[in-house]
Parts: sequence; structure tokens; C-alpha cells
Amino acid sequence: MYIIGKGITRKDAFEKVTGQAKYTADFETNEMLHARLVISPYAHALIKNIDMSEAEKIPGVRAVITGQNLPLTGEELQDRPPIATDRVRYQGEVISIVVADNPYLAEQGAQAVNVQYEPLPVVNSPSEALKPDAPLLHPKLGEYKKIQGVYPEPGTNIATRTKIRKGNWEKGCAESEVIVEEHFAFRPSDHAAMETRCSFAQIHPNGMIEISSSSQAPFMIKRLIGQYFGISTGKIRVNTPLVGGAYGGKASTQLEILAYIATKEVNGRLVKILNTREEDMLTSPGHIGLEARVKLGSTKEGLLKVAELTYLWDGGAYSDKSIDLSRAGAVDCTGPYHIENIWCDSLCMYTNHPYAAPFRGFSHSEVHFAFERTMDVLAQKLNIDPLELRNKNAILPGHTTPTQVLLNSSTVGNLPKCISKLKELINWQEGQIKDLGNHRVRAKGISCIWKTSTIDPNATSAVILIFNPDGSINLISGVIEIGTATKTILAQMLAERLKMDVNDIHVQMEVDTLSTPEHWKTVASRGTYMAGRAVLAAAEDIIRQLKNIASFILRAREDDLEVGYGKVYVRDDPKTSILIKDIAYGYTFPNGNTIGSQIIGRGNFVIRGMTYLDKETGAGRPGPEWTVGAEGVEIELDLRTYTYKVLKAVAVIDIGKVFNEKTAIGQVKGAMSMGLSFAARETFWFDDHGSVLNPQLRTYRPIRFGEHPKYVVAFVETPEIDAPYGGRGVGEHGLIGMPAALANSLSTALSVNVNYLPLIPELLWKIKRGEK
Amino acid sequence: MLAGNIEYYQPSTVNEAVEQFFILKKENKLPMYYAGGTEILTLGRLNIIHPGAIIDIKAIKETLSHESYQEHFIFGASLPLTYIEEKNIFPLLTQTSMEIADHTARNKITIGGNVCGNIFYREAVLPFLLCDSTVVVAGKEGQKTHPIQDIFNKTFQFEEGQFLIQLLIEKKYLTLPFITIKKRQQWETGYPLITVACIKIENQLRFAFSGLCPFPFRSQKVETELNNTLLPKEERINHAIEQLPTPVLNDVEGSKEYRLFVLRNTLKEMIVEMEEKE
Repeated sequence: MYIIGKGITRKDAFEKVTGQAKYTADFETNEMLHARLVISPYAHALIKNIDMSEAEKIPGVRAVITGQNLPLTGEELQDRPPIATDRVRYQGEVISIVVADNPYLAEQGAQAVNVQYEPLPVVNSPSEALKPDAPLLHPKLGEYKKIQGVYPEPGTNIATRTKIRKGNWEKGCAESEVIVEEHFAFRPSDHAAMETRCSFAQIHPNGMIEISSSSQAPFMIKRLIGQYFGISTGKIRVNTPLVGGAYGGKASTQLEILAYIATKEVNGRLVKILNTREEDMLTSPGHIGLEARVKLGSTKEGLLKVAELTYLWDGGAYSDKSIDLSRAGAVDCTGPYHIENIWCDSLCMYTNHPYAAPFRGFSHSEVHFAFERTMDVLAQKLNIDPLELRNKNAILPGHTTPTQVLLNSSTVGNLPKCISKLKELINWQEGQIKDLGNHRVRAKGISCIWKTSTIDPNATSAVILIFNPDGSINLISGVIEIGTATKTILAQMLAERLKMDVNDIHVQMEVDTLSTPEHWKTVASRGTYMAGRAVLAAAEDIIRQLKNIASFILRAREDDLEVGYGKVYVRDDPKTSILIKDIAYGYTFPNGNTIGSQIIGRGNFVIRGMTYLDKETGAGRPGPEWTVGAEGVEIELDLRTYTYKVLKAVAVIDIGKVFNEKTAIGQVKGAMSMGLSFAARETFWFDDHGSVLNPQLRTYRPIRFGEHPKYVVAFVETPEIDAPYGGRGVGEHGLIGMPAALANSLSTALSVNVNYLPLIPELLWKIKRGEK
Repeated sequence: MLAGNIEYYQPSTVNEAVEQFFILKKENKLPMYYAGGTEILTLGRLNIIHPGAIIDIKAIKETLSHESYQEHFIFGASLPLTYIEEKNIFPLLTQTSMEIADHTARNKITIGGNVCGNIFYREAVLPFLLCDSTVVVAGKEGQKTHPIQDIFNKTFQFEEGQFLIQLLIEKKYLTLPFITIKKRQQWETGYPLITVACIKIENQLRFAFSGLCPFPFRSQKVETELNNTLLPKEERINHAIEQLPTPVLNDVEGSKEYRLFVLRNTLKEMIVEMEEKE
């Protein structure tokens, strides 16, 4: 390989480390107006009256907007009014938008809006939502518009149900000699990205709507706003500068809709909305919660025979992305194992909690927490080494997934290889638990992982390459630089294909949907795969054009020519060549005659063979390939106080091919730290009224510098033949196994089943006392 | 961002500050003394407090003193916590202080602001409660000094318009054996589940607590029980817990029962260690 696999400096590095990089909120203009939101303090209440008169009196307040006459929104099921009118269903829900000359006046205006509420009984968990006498959050559930594959159950709080029916459940039970069943629960939480969400919008005199937003999905914003408000998509332009952490939270469209509504109310003037931290945690969608029941049956030798699973997702007040999240949780409803008989019901439940956005791992860390904990319980009951139990059941080419996709050596990575590497890196043979004396123990916990990316079957990605007169190339892709360095990887791929200096590839970091070709959404660890294929297709397009023009000048057939090292040359006589820069803008003969002109390369890609899932069995092909891995943690726990430290965290991922070692390791370590933070401390604490008691970073505390363990990352490389250079998705996978691995280590250390999150010492103390 | 129209004053003398306070009060401006500002910003943006004017006391030189004076050492109220930590004149204070918030915040948080705060932990007051310190306060009637035990009951019992200028500590206390322990819900960041500070003087242990109740305190009754060396430690601790003020906190950081569990462990750990110290 020429440059693939080498650690090159990120294309956005200098901008970022010098503080010059601009994020959405950094853009300010003099004529810009500012909006503040009025949000509900109640989780469930009727709105009896909204008095805007005091706010409207404040000089400099331009508009006080309420929610009448607005369309319902929602990505798969349109159940969400952008601004609540008669009823609020979660704390933080938007009641009104106040637009003013500056942020201070907007805030004063928002404080002056007087809302009268009548509190209603709340649904405070997904299991409560399922009770026959639970308050109904969406009495009109049957009337909402929806897309294909969404199955709401009117008269209940079930927004959709995904069923997996694989094999023969009765046969699986009959063949099972040992059965275990465990229950799990954790509450919703947040992404806590460093940059809070921000959008600004204006309507130009020619009717063009221009929106700038900190988003992972500018092309989706364009489509959804077009769809909700009946506007042709060509009249909507969306800009996305660099994004300061997203983790799935910025794949949802919300603030953009509010910014559009606001600008419409002030004759198209530019209006900016910047979330406060509290709004970013409450009002904008967060990380989904889950209650789960996992029942596993196996032979005495530990061969899995049946899995019976119920997942109740805490999707919050509106279904937006949680429908898709509950579906993804069904697609990979087990760990990465060969199980012939699987019976799963994955229900997206409405509750009076903040609603959900995707969260790094897209339901997989959540499902794996439940499933991989149960694997440890089974191993203990069978008296088999937990790593050996996993190895014995590892999914392999020739096996089928829960949605009955037959795997081959390309579509699934090598799990046994990951397990054996983990075994070595975590020093498994020294034992899972070690008594250090003085009430202290060291313990290890493990989890295997897998993930496919459930994306829309027609999701596309396209790339444009434009030559500069010096022979360098501008690379334009709709991938958002959310911190993953994907655009640097794309440049590496192009440099590899054209055998050119990566410094001669200029990457456009920002996205402007007017001039940037679409990349569906920057989610699901699909940037390098889809945009990478588009880059390679565009490179072929360029090569073809370069050869075409060079064949005249070099007097050779096109198929005798090669492109590389800044030249087009004859294969068996490389000295017969012409510099690319001399033909990139066409070629001029000595007398002035010119042929050709600026070369523009284009390439696009769509994943082949994706299907919707069957309503009754879940059968279908939801994603192109499964990345697998094996992860573990080692902790040291004080048996008297239940306090512990994570000493070491290990992740072995089958990445297919390492493109840029440093950024790959960075992605995995970052994901691992996020997984440990989610597992060990991040949660919303709700009171009995469904209010979040800690919507601030003072009381909602992600893992911090100084609290990290030693991270160990290793890769296995089993290429996926459809992917550029064989690479597999890796942006999320480090996270997926961490909650289960940590819970398994603590369960081992304390000889109890720790089935709840977050794993704080008080929880361990309660479980040990038999209270939970 | 505070949305209100807030007036800002920065007097350079104690008297000016107090005068300014009463002028603003008369104008119904809801004045507030201001030092580091972290808490005014935190609570102001949540609409919990609504200052109409703030009087920044950081330009008053007495509030910046950090020096010996006869038998005492003076800590000015406007000194940032990190300044006090770097000078490290009083290791018990340094170690207690270093557990508050984070370094960046402590560059702004002042000792006076922390001990007078609305957020009820006020952990930096614990060393002063333990060491019979003296408090210098400014007000309508000029400057006054008080023994801390006379003026601190859960919070500083200031009259309207009074503010803290200095905290004085007798030098003999600066080097006594001590331990200060902060226990959190998880790991190394966050508010305390409990913070306990302890010193040993004339073979007696003194204890002060934060995070256990919605106020910091030192209790003679608790100390008497914990110093009753005729009884085994567990029993002393049980008796001490019976003497705790009420209520014991029960909130998102931890339940009441768990806090008491942590308290038992922490006290035991401290007593074992302190009884060995000379």
C-alpha cells in the first residue's frame, strides 16, 4: 500500500489546534436576530393558557411564536408538533419561540411568557407505559402519517413493534438443558457533546430557504423540512460547518425546524437559535433508555439453542428516531452468536421522558449490556469459562443472523480471532478474579460485540473531484466532519488510487447542500464505506478522462497508459509521459490549439441488496456487513465500600483494514471512554413527576480527564470485499461492549448479578443488600 | 448569560462597598456582593437569583491579603482557591479546597464566595470551623470580628449589607495533624456525597462535615461520641450518628441510607488513621 494504513495528520488538525476552526454558533452578523425557547417545566400537562402580552411589550422583541397551524413532524411517524399547543409530553418541550434583536432581549422575552399548565399523571418508564391502565400519550396514534415498516398499535403506548421469529422456538426450548433468564433496566441519558446544538435560518428574497446547523444530516434536513412544509427540496439550502461532537445526537432534525418557523415569522430575516446546555439535554433528543428481559437456553456443553428476548425501549414523548433504534435493537438482538431459534419483541414505547436520538452504537451497547450479561450468567450456571462459552458459539461464515441473513467470510469479521487476541491482551489465563487482601479484589469482565448498520435501503453517497491548475485535486463530499477524520481517510483513499501526494488533495470540510453532492447522513460508521466507494468511482472517472486526453499526446492506446505520481505514462516506457497538471485543464498545442478543459470527476454509490424487514418474522437484509469484536475491562474494587477503579479497558475489533492507525485507535479509545462513562455514571435521574433532576453538567457528569483507565486497542484485519480497500465500520464499536464488560467484572467481583446502570457504588451496595 | 439589566460596581474600599450596597438597596436594585462570580452566574442563569446590581469586592485590598499578622494568618475573602492552594500555607485548607469543582473553576471561585455560597456544600469552611477561626466582617457599623462559632450556623449569619472581608486562623492550627476526605457518587468529580475534615489537637479529634446535611457543620456532641475511646470504634460511630443534625440528605447524589453507610466507613477509616498520628 502506498498511503493507506499510514498515520497522516488530519486535514482539519491545524484549524482545530489553533482554535481557528469555526462551528455553527461562531457565525454572527449584525443583522442577525436571536431566538430563545420557552420550555415546559412539566413532563405531562395540559396547556391552559399562554399569555404573551408582557413579552410582546419588550422593545426589541420581534415575534413571540406559538404552535398553531404547524404540521406534525417525526422522521418515521409524524407524531410531534414542533411547538406544543394543547399538551406537553415531556419536560423541556417547546411551548414558544421568542425572537428579538439580541440574545438578552430574547431571553427576557422568553421569561415574560406566562404559561398556565394543568399537570397530568405521568408515564415514567416503558414498563409503566405498557400497563393496560397507563395514561395514553398519543390518543391519535392511528391517524399519524408514517413511512413503510412502522407498526404503531393505536390505543396503547406502543409506537412500533419489531418482531424477530427465527427458527423454531419450541424446538429450541426442547433442546435446551439449561435455561437462564435475567431482567435489566437503565434510564435515558444524554450525549453531552461539547458543542450544544445551534441553527440559524433565513429566507432570501427569491424564496430560497437557507439554514446553517450543527448537524450530521444536512441532506435530511432539506428533505424533511421540504416534506413537512410542502416546499420543493431545491428551494432549501443547508450549510454545515465543522461539528463539535455529535455521537448520533445531531442526526435528528429539530432545531432546524424551529429556526425555519422563526425566520418565517420575521419576514425571512436571519434568526439564530443556540441551545443552552439544559435545552441541549432536555429539549433536544438524547440517549434512549431500555428495560429488557433475556432468556437463553443451551445444552449442558454450552451450545446456545434458543434466545427469547423482550426489549422495551424508553423512546420518550415522541417516536422520531426511536422507532429506528428499536428496530436496530431487534436486528442484532443477540450477541454475535450462532443461534438457530430466536424470538424477540422489540417495542418502541412512549413515556413522558425527553425523546431519543441515535446514540453512538445505535442500540447495540444497550442490547449487548443485557445479552452479554446473560451470557455470563449462563456461563456461571454451566460452569464454563465465559470467554470459552462465547468462543464456542461465535458467529461464523455460513451462519445466519437474527434477520436470517446468510453470512460469508466477507460479510462478517473473524470473531474467534478477536477473542483469542483479547484473551492474550487481558491476560485471561491468570484468572478472572484475584484477591489482593485487605478487602480488595481485582476482577475482569468481557463482552463480545457485533454491529451492522441499519440504514435506509436507498441511502446514497456521491463525490465530486475538481482539478486545480497545479494538478492538485479538490475533494467534495457530503460527509460531515464530526471529529472522526473521515474526510482525511477519503483523501488517503484518493491518494492511494492516484498514487499522488496526499498534501495535493484539498478536502472541503464544510457542507453546503447547494454545491456538495449528497451523503445520506454521517451516521452508522458508514462514511468511509459509502463515500469511500464514491471516491474510488470518481477516481476512475478522472483516470478515464486523463487517459483519454493523454492518449492523443503520448500517441498510445488508452489501455496502455497508467496514472500515478502526478503523471500519465506509458506502461512499458514510463519515460513517455505527461504531467497531469499539463492536461488537467486541457492540453494546449504549441500553436495555441487546445483540446479538453478542466477535468471534473464524479462518483456515487448505493449499498446493494438492502431490504425492509418482514413484518411478522423480521427477515430481511438491513445492513451490508457485520463488524465484530471482543472487549474487556479490569477493575479493582473495595469490598467494604463498593468503590472501584477501572484499571484497564481492552478492545479488539475486526476493522477489515486499518486506513490511518492513529485516527482508528483514537476512534476506538474515544468510543470506549464514552461506553465506560455511560455504564458507570451517566444517567438522567427522574423524580416521580417525570422531571429530570440533573439536566446540567454540574450534576450530569461524563467521565473526565484523570478518571480514565489504560486503554488497549488492537485490530484484526478480515477484509470486506465490497468495501474500499476492505475496511469495515469502526466509529462506534469500541463503545458497544463496555457496559456489559464492566457489569460482568463487577458481578464477578461481588458474586451478584449487576443488571442495572449506571454502575455507581450505591447501586452495588443496594444489590449486595438485596434491595434491587 | 444573565438576561437582566445588571449594574456593576467595583469599589476600592470597604466603606465604599457598604455605602454602595445601601444606596442600591434604597433604589430597589437588589444588590449583591460579587467576588469570583461562578455561583451568581450559575444560579442567575437558572433564574434562582435575580441580582439587579453587583458590587465586586475584588478591588478591596483587605480582601486580597494573604499574610501573617501577629499570632494569626489572614486569608482575604477574594483570594481564588487555586491561589491559596499554590501558596499552601494551611495544608488542611489546601487539600479540602482542591476537591472543590475543577481547577479552571477554582481559578475563579474565591474562598469568601465558597464559604458564603448559596450552593450548600461550602466545603472550604470546614477547616475554619475546625480551627476556632476568626471572621472579619464589614457592615453598616464598620468592621467587626467574630469567633466563627458565634456567626456561622449552617451559613454565615450576616445582617443585611454585611460581607466577609477576611478569615483569620491562629498559626498553631496550621500544622496540626489532619485528614480530609471527600466521597462522591462516582470517581473523582462532582459534588460530595460527604466531605469530612478532621484535625487532632491535644489528643482530641475534631470533625466537620459537608454534604451530609444541607449545610456544613461541626458538632460538639458528635465529637464527644467519637472521642469516647472507652468504646470500640463501631459503637462510637453509632452513637455519633445518633447525634447528627437533621435532615441527612437524600438526593440525586445518594440516598440517606447510603450516605450513612459511607459516613460509617469514612469515619472508621479516619479514626484509625488519626489515632495513629502524633
